[in-house]
Amino acid sequence: MAAEGMTTRTSRTFVAGLWHENPVLRLLLGMCPTLAVTAAVKPALTMGLSVIFVLVCSNVAVSLMRHLLKPHLRILMFTLTIATFVTIADLYLKAFLPEMSERLGPYIPLIIVNCVIICRAETCASKNGLWISLVDAVGMGLGFTLTLCVLAAIRELLGTGMIFEKPILPVAGPQGGWFVPWTAMILPVGAFITLGLLLGGVNLITRRTKG
Amino acid sequence: MGKVRFFLRESWLLIVASGAFGLLLAVTNAAWQDRIEANRRHKFESRAAALVPQAETFVEMDPIRVELGGGKTDTVQVRKAVREPDQTCVGWAFAAKGSGFADKIELVLAVDAAFETLRGFAVLSSNETPGFGDKIKNAYFQDQFKGAPAAVLTLVKTGEPTQIDDQIVAITGATVSSEAVVHIINAYVGAVRDAMQDKGWINDGR
Repeated sequence: MAAEGMTTRTSRTFVAGLWHENPVLRLLLGMCPTLAVTAAVKPALTMGLSVIFVLVCSNVAVSLMRHLLKPHLRILMFTLTIATFVTIADLYLKAFLPEMSERLGPYIPLIIVNCVIICRAETCASKNGLWISLVDAVGMGLGFTLTLCVLAAIRELLGTGMIFEKPILPVAGPQGGWFVPWTAMILPVGAFITLGLLLGGVNLITRRTKG
Repeated sequence: MGKVRFFLRESWLLIVASGAFGLLLAVTNAAWQDRIEANRRHKFESRAAALVPQAETFVEMDPIRVELGGGKTDTVQVRKAVREPDQTCVGWAFAAKGSGFADKIELVLAVDAAFETLRGFAVLSSNETPGFGDKIKNAYFQDQFKGAPAAVLTLVKTGEPTQIDDQIVAITGATVSSEAVVHIINAYVGAVRDAMQDKGWINDGR
C-alpha cells in the first residue's frame, strides 16, 4: 500500500514538471533564458540540458542537507550550491563545447539566478527526501527543456527556414524556393510573440480539457 | 566565547559547504583548464590564420601594455605570424576589444610584417543584433579592411565598399556596430604599433 502510494507520488511529481506545473508555461519562471536563447534549437537544448544538470545536482545536495539548514541562512546555502554546479556546467561547456559556450554567452552563468532552480530548492528539495527531490528535478528540468526546444523550433523554422540548422523550408533565392525568412522571429520580438502564443495555446487546451 | 560559539553554531554548515564546494570547483578547474586554454588559443589562431594565410605558426610575444586614449589601457598579447622553415615574419595578429551596440565586441586584428597595412579583422566574440549588427561578420564588410592602411580609418555612410582605402562604408541598419569596429581598430592599431616600435619588434625581418 505504502509502495503504491510512493509510486503514485513519484509519477505525479514527475508529470507535474512536464505539464500542469511546467516551469515556463504554467509557473512563468526562467523567462530570461526562455526569451534569450530560443532563436535556434541547438542553444535552447544546451541551455535545457545545463539546467537539468544544475537542477538535479542542487536538488540532491539541498535535500541531503535539508535537516541541517538554518531558516535564515537557507537562501544563502541554496545560492552557494546552485552557483557551484552552474560554474561546473560553464567550465564543461568552455572545455568541451566552446562554440556553444560562446554562443550562449552570459546566459549559462545566469542560471545561478534562474528562478526555476531556487524555486525547486525552496519548495521541494528542502522539504522532501532524496528520491522525490530527484524526480522533481528531472521532471521540472525536462519540462523546461522541452518548452525551450518547442519555442526554439518554431522561431528557428520561421526565422531561418531551418531546424537544428538543417534546411526544412525552401528559402527563396537564385536557385528557387518560396519561403522568405521572417527575420523578426529570431529577434527578441519573435520570442515574445511565440511565447505569448504558446501560453495562449496552453491556456486554451487547459480550459477545454477541464470543460 | 559565547559569541564565537553562537557564530559557529549558526554558520558551521555554510563554512563547511563553502570549503567543500570550493574544493570541488578547484578540482574541476584544474582538470579542464588546459583544455579551455587550448580552445581559446585555437580559436584565436584559426581566425588569425585566415587573415594571414602565409603564416604557418604564431609565436607569442611578451604581453605589452598599450594606451588606448581616454585614460584606458589594455594588456595585449601580440602573436608573430611566422612562415617556416626560414622563420620569416609575415605579419602580426592580436586581440582587440571595445563596446558594441549590445555588448562588448572582441576582434582579431592582423597587420603585415611592417605594420603598414591591415590584413583584416575577424570577430572573436560579439552579441550584436542578429540580422543587423552581426553583419560585421560578413565578408562584404570585412573585405573593406583587407589592405587598408594601418592608420586612422574613417567611417562613411555612403561610398564604394570595394575601394580599399582609409574610408570604411558602414553597414546599412548597423551604423553603431560598424562604428564600434572602426573605433576598436583605430584605438588599438596605433597604440600597439607604438608599443611594438618601442620594443623594437617591427621590421626585424625574422
